[in-house]
Amino acid sequence: MTAPAVPPAPPRKLDFFAAFLSYLLPGLGQVLQGRIGKGVLFFICLYSLFFHGLWMGKLKNVWLPEPSSLPAARLPIVGELGGPLKAAYNRPQFLGQFWMGIATWPACAQYLLTKSPENGEPLPEPSPILGRYMQAPSEIEINALQRSGDKRFDLGWVYTVIAGVLNLLVIYDALAGPVIKNEDETPPAPTPKPGEGAGS
Amino acid sequence: MIPFALSIYWDFPILLIVFSLVYSATRHDPWPKILREAVYWIGRIGGFLLAVGTVLYACSTWL
Repeated sequence: MTAPAVPPAPPRKLDFFAAFLSYLLPGLGQVLQGRIGKGVLFFICLYSLFFHGLWMGKLKNVWLPEPSSLPAARLPIVGELGGPLKAAYNRPQFLGQFWMGIATWPACAQYLLTKSPENGEPLPEPSPILGRYMQAPSEIEINALQRSGDKRFDLGWVYTVIAGVLNLLVIYDALAGPVIKNEDETPPAPTPKPGEGAGS
Repeated sequence: MIPFALSIYWDFPILLIVFSLVYSATRHDPWPKILREAVYWIGRIGGFLLAVGTVLYACSTWL
């Protein structure tokens, strides 16, 4: 006699709110779902990696450039890009860094608030709140950083991009749960209805 | 020459540990499985890079 087939576990409901929270702060969505240990692990690990990368780049590797001074950006089907898409086209690292959530919002704020420098000045005015934090550095500044130090400056933005891309996995984990489901979560075998005895 | 104590290679373990832990934690929920898979990835990536580094060192030394 064969054992009754166990029905497959029902599909997990997608949790878009938790996913959004995990975008804002890595692991916050998992904390909301009661997976506190994992949420704390994600937060500590990803913020350590992101800010270590930022420190390696002397706080000058997370930024979006001001698009008016950039060369034209054209994609085959989309055509000419403008605004933040043009800026991201010229600074593709930010497409990975962006997924770190609130940690990268100063760069977005600097992009929106910073006016392009006038009268041939190399740097725009510092923001009254953020100063030059995550403001696009001048070409002279970047060249000096790349020439004067070891490879840490360039390695720094790689770390920040990896942190952002890893947070995409964390967002997915908050949205749909872990990739490999826990075997213990299988639902209990259905109880036989009255009249469905072993002999029937 | 940059002293070994200041070498950029000291930054690599942070990346290796964080990547392994986060990637493993997005694949499993139980902690024993997360830690087991993280150790597996640390060994796998670290071993691969160590092998590449050894080959490159050997090539630069004896070739």
